[in-house]
Amino acid sequence: MRAAKSAYPLTWRIMDALEAFAAFVWPARFGRAIPWLMLAPALLLVGLLVLGLWLIGDASLRTLDTSTFLMSETYTLANYRRAFTESLFAVVAWRSLAGSLMVTAATLILAFPYAYVMVRTSSPVIRKLLLIALFLPFFIGQVVRAYGWLIILGNQGMVNEALSLVGIAPIRLLYNYWAVLFGLVQYMLPFAVLMLAPALTAIPEELEAAAGSLGADWLRTFRHVVLPLARPGLVGAGLVVLTLSLTDFAMPAILGGGSQDFIANAIYDQFFRTSDQGLGSTLALLLVATGSLLVGLVFTLFGAGTLAMGRARQ
Amino acid sequence: MMPVVLNGSSIKAKSEEAGVAVSVKAVNMVYDGVHAVRSASFDLEAGKFLTILGPSGSGKTTLLRLIAGFQRPTSGEIFINGAAVSAVPPHRRSIGMVFQKLALFPHMTAAENVAFPLKMRRSDARDIPARVERYLDMVRLGGYGARRVHELSGGQQQRVAIARALVFEPDLLLLDEPLAALDRKLREEMQLEFRRIQRELGVTTINVTHDQREALVVSDEIIVMDGGEIQQKARPAETYRSPSNAFVANFIGVTNFLDAQGGERRAIRAEKIRIAATRDGLAGTDMIVEGLVVDAIFEGERVVYEVRVASLGDALLRVFDHDPSAHSQLEAGSAVCLGWAASDVLEFKP
Ligand SMILES: Nc1ncnc2c1ncn2[C@@H]1O[C@H](COP(=O)(O)OP(=O)(O)OP(=O)(O)O)[C@@H](O)[C@H]1O
Ligand SMILES: [Mg+2]
Repeated sequence: MRAAKSAYPLTWRIMDALEAFAAFVWPARFGRAIPWLMLAPALLLVGLLVLGLWLIGDASLRTLDTSTFLMSETYTLANYRRAFTESLFAVVAWRSLAGSLMVTAATLILAFPYAYVMVRTSSPVIRKLLLIALFLPFFIGQVVRAYGWLIILGNQGMVNEALSLVGIAPIRLLYNYWAVLFGLVQYMLPFAVLMLAPALTAIPEELEAAAGSLGADWLRTFRHVVLPLARPGLVGAGLVVLTLSLTDFAMPAILGGGSQDFIANAIYDQFFRTSDQGLGSTLALLLVATGSLLVGLVFTLFGAGTLAMGRARQ
Repeated sequence: MMPVVLNGSSIKAKSEEAGVAVSVKAVNMVYDGVHAVRSASFDLEAGKFLTILGPSGSGKTTLLRLIAGFQRPTSGEIFINGAAVSAVPPHRRSIGMVFQKLALFPHMTAAENVAFPLKMRRSDARDIPARVERYLDMVRLGGYGARRVHELSGGQQQRVAIARALVFEPDLLLLDEPLAALDRKLREEMQLEFRRIQRELGVTTINVTHDQREALVVSDEIIVMDGGEIQQKARPAETYRSPSNAFVANFIGVTNFLDAQGGERRAIRAEKIRIAATRDGLAGTDMIVEGLVVDAIFEGERVVYEVRVASLGDALLRVFDHDPSAHSQLEAGSAVCLGWAASDVLEFKP
């Protein structure tokens, strides 16, 4: 018996006791709850968001009484009627929608070669420079960057100064649609590159060599091999750029100078200038609906699987 | 461009053409600091199966990539069918390549993978399906065309890669260790498959491997490389029987190095040594030494003995006994005699 005792040393017994205690406090069957527990914060946030949407939905169905500045007690669709019939809102909606689509296309076209070179270059120096150039704007922030463009593109800005040196009269470069789109593309580029880079990294370089040896020049290799395999990255980057630019506020406000409002600017005006929470809420909901519709459209066109979710593409 | 022929008559014509298909002349490849290929020169006759054999890092892949055109040699020139190709990009060379990691296109089916080179080379679209089918049949994958790459087993993917590299009837087939990832049984099956297909089509082939057995089994000729340098180019039997230097002798087969005599290294193959408990059992050998069995490893069809020989500076000699059931196995620790014929000793200049 003594021999058996010495074969079961004290430290082991302490460990056993600790394990028994742990099992008492946290029985193994609780283990199944752990994933849900880890999801809880995210679920809570989504829940708050849904609650907010509910309140906005409620407000969108009430009109503003301009004499008392109070919201009506009864529900009405008057705000929706206004949003769909007043031409100002149609112009703003069309401007944002067309603008964000153009920004998305331009950004993807510019970001793709950037990401490709960054991923494929054999020179670590070039890769580092490209990465730094990518991240620098992040540290500067959107508003400061927009002001930077004011300094560069303004009537007395650097570009016009340079033009005057060669005898060209100042051109109005700011406060128009193209200035806003330009600013948005420049703002979105890092997001797109960062989302494309992993997708391109996942394409083995050997596939491109193989395509070459099978008779494809670089253009056909790009078209038949790189592009289809980069689709998840392109769809992801496109979605991010599309939704971010559709809902952008700062670029239209600063580079558009009030004349190039996007939907977010119109919503801001309703909430903080006219104090018409009802109409503001309506516009906000319509923006959410448009964004969701676009995302849904992209998913049905390209399939959610293109985001490399699920196991189908492994 | 190769004409699309379904009955294979153009293939035969190609193999009957005598002449040099590939000629590598004084090729050097230097990556920043690494001399990966050193003044490599060789000719390969059309229709032959050449294997480049060498240890890891000896420059095999680099040599293959130079021939395929993915890289340009630092100096020297490569000729394919008599034409210098250094300035010709890969997609203009008529070369089929099977990569180490296969490099199948994951977004395509097996048939689409095989059809890819035909589409890229603008073959007549009407002929493509029949031709794809024929090559899938040839690699015994008839009926698998609609499968996605990830729905195929490793061996099946291998065969799709081979069909894809051959379907456009290239002048030259390059294989970069495509069998390395397979298990032994499948690998040996595929080796024979390679040989069968290569004979059937008569396509000039360069195969890279570090598996000496594979090199001996499938090749018409073997190039042994070490440190970026070609050590020997010869037929398999010749490479085995008369290795040109100590490296080749050590790399192919199991070789025992004996003492150096007057600067010459002498060696004897494990299977050329006979082993017996007494000298009487070694009739017919003219070199006899005594030793102590250190280990006896039973491998089924043979027993491998490791014997320490005091008279050779305590050298550990490996000896094969190919008829282990004919007599009882010698135990570790027992004193034995080893004998061999002087004519079987290999001699190498330093
Ligand atoms: N792109 C490269 N840049 C720098 N050095 C390289 C490059 N590719 C290969 N090397 C070097 O060249 C030498 C030969 O490499 P190579 O890939 O040709 O060897 P290998 O014989 O194919 O080896 P393995 O059997 O391991 O595939 C190695 O020392 C390797 O480190
Ligand atoms: Mg290699």
